[in-house]
Amino acid sequence: MTSYLIRRVFQMILVILVSAAASYALLNFAPGGPMSGLRQITQNSRFRITEEDFARIRAYFELDLSVPIRFSRWLIGQPRGPIVIFGKELFANTPIGCYKEIQATVQDARGNFSVKTIGCSEYVYLKDLVGRRTSNGVLRGDFGNSWKLSRDRPVSNLLVSRLPKTIQLSGLAVLLSLIVGLPLGVYSALKQYSRFDYIFTTLAFMGSAMPTFFFGILAIMLFSIIPNRIGWFYLPAGSSVAVRDYAVPILGTVKANSPLDAALHLILPVLVLTIVSVSGWSRYVRGSMLEVLRQDYVRTARAKGLVERVVIAKHALRNALIPFVTIVVFTLPGIIGGAIITETIFSWPGMGRLYFLALGESDYPVAMAVLFLTAVLTVIATLLRDILYTLVDPRIRFS
Amino acid sequence: MATKAANLSAVTPRPVKEETPLSIILRRFRKHRMAMISLGVILVVFIISMFAKQLAPFSADDLNVSNRFGAPGSVSADTGKVHVLGTDNIGRDYFSRLLYAGRISLTVAFLSVLVSELIGIVVGAIAGFYGGWIDSLLMRFVEFLLTIPSLPLLLIISSMLLRNPDLIPIPAPVLNILGKVMLLRPSDARQAVLIVLVLAGLGWLTAAQLMRGSILSLREQTFVEAARSLGASNGRIIFNHMIPNSMAPIIVDASLSLAGYIVAEASLSFLGFGIQDPIPTWGNMLSATQTYMYDRPWLPLIPGLPIFLCSLAFNYIGDGLRDALDPRLKT
Repeated sequence: MTSYLIRRVFQMILVILVSAAASYALLNFAPGGPMSGLRQITQNSRFRITEEDFARIRAYFELDLSVPIRFSRWLIGQPRGPIVIFGKELFANTPIGCYKEIQATVQDARGNFSVKTIGCSEYVYLKDLVGRRTSNGVLRGDFGNSWKLSRDRPVSNLLVSRLPKTIQLSGLAVLLSLIVGLPLGVYSALKQYSRFDYIFTTLAFMGSAMPTFFFGILAIMLFSIIPNRIGWFYLPAGSSVAVRDYAVPILGTVKANSPLDAALHLILPVLVLTIVSVSGWSRYVRGSMLEVLRQDYVRTARAKGLVERVVIAKHALRNALIPFVTIVVFTLPGIIGGAIITETIFSWPGMGRLYFLALGESDYPVAMAVLFLTAVLTVIATLLRDILYTLVDPRIRFS
Repeated sequence: MATKAANLSAVTPRPVKEETPLSIILRRFRKHRMAMISLGVILVVFIISMFAKQLAPFSADDLNVSNRFGAPGSVSADTGKVHVLGTDNIGRDYFSRLLYAGRISLTVAFLSVLVSELIGIVVGAIAGFYGGWIDSLLMRFVEFLLTIPSLPLLLIISSMLLRNPDLIPIPAPVLNILGKVMLLRPSDARQAVLIVLVLAGLGWLTAAQLMRGSILSLREQTFVEAARSLGASNGRIIFNHMIPNSMAPIIVDASLSLAGYIVAEASLSFLGFGIQDPIPTWGNMLSATQTYMYDRPWLPLIPGLPIFLCSLAFNYIGDGLRDALDPRLKT
């Protein structure tokens, strides 16, 4: 058990490092970014940006350092200056990047002009890194600063401010889906080919074929816009709290930012998320329950004269839920960026919408942080699944 | 010999009609009522998209800003033609755009399925056939990608490709042909091809797993051994013997993922990271109407309905195919 866990943790660290490198590569090769458009401004007469300004801005975003150094500073926050051993500074004069580049316009075979870097007029040395601002490194929870969404503020601040809203939404939806989906699937399997089963499977099939965005829009239309028009009780859609007080029939005036207001805003997105996952999950539970009910040990249990309730709950359900564990555990990485569509439709200020906005605004540090966290949570969920498997099913051993 | 044959036919007066494997499959498929209805729906959508140019009263880009948000059934002042489903936010005929969009959305979905199943078949076959470290490396990679939520990845890759469309070189003849298929200019077709690459780039994973599974079981069978003893090369064994014998789950997966790709393409376009506005797709038509749906609730319903219908229909067809091709796979 212990050696298994140790091996797994090593594997996890490896996977996390690889996904960090992958996401950093994406961040690096991403078009756009802080330097785009600056060259155009240099040609504008009113705001003249000199070569010196240009180099300073590049240095501000660390774009003057070479990629391995940048990656290492992004990952662990090192190097921050010369390596000091026994009071001696080592490698102080090692060039690690280019402060001012020499650029030239070249023409390629097809006749297109492009600006290329052909040399370097001023290098950056390791000793120059002293006193530069650095993030503490992704591995220590510092994702650097945001480029656009909240300019020059730490990405982690943004994440922390968005996380509670997402957990509120996704957590509630997962909980509700479990409470509704599990019994529905089990009941439908027990009454296979009954009228209930027929209606249920058709609805569940439609639910899982229904695109989330269309479903969200329908929900807004049916429960918000139309009732509001004809003066019935309606649910507010959009954001998580209202800006000013509003009146809803039956409830009267709802104070902005009150618990009631928050609850009303929560209903529609939770409803959409829940129905989408209920239709998937309950179909899954129904399938595996049917599979288990055909097994010999269930027949044996019945032959022993056990009460049907015990047969179902103790012998069938427990075995049917083993594969289901996987699905539930993997909602964990989904929490970070999984509800993108729903959060976008309802303008819910959570992580999914943050990710969506970050991509739209080319705020890649924010997007990468979300992506990286998703990868980390995926790895954790994999481990959790394997551990849970052995808990639900003692026949499965660590190996 | 002749008398023997005559005797035999005399003994069995009613000759048993022989069923080919194909007719068995067809018979089983026909039993699935919803799948047959869905097939009909898809055929109708197909035919309509095929004749989009002939059926559409306007072209997809004809705009008339003075005639914004025309109600369904209103008459165009310039041409006297009827806007069957009204006009959109810059006065383009909604019905015509819907028809053109269908053509593009369906083409993107079909191409994505084609590309992703091909990649999946090759990767899965290699992993399953050679085994060893190739297999474990490829399959760990596939498993990891499968567990990561796919939408964030799709969004970031397609946002990067859309900002930098020349990153992946696409041969001009491909763009020309696809442009003809989708009724687009070749430069616009590039966008659709990029979306296909993005979707297929993350979509081949299940196909690879399925393929690997069937190759693993086929590897032990005697006909493979026979082929090898006859001196067939690895490539010949894989491509001529193993892959044709493991197509059933792939076909089922392809029809189910058609539904997935239609929804995925629409989701990307809906979020603004798919095919961009002047090119009509069901997804971006829906997304464009989101702002106006408070006053004109029919606008999002019109492009939303075909997405839902196609997704449902392909799901049912996949379900029917699974029952027909391999009843053991049924859940």
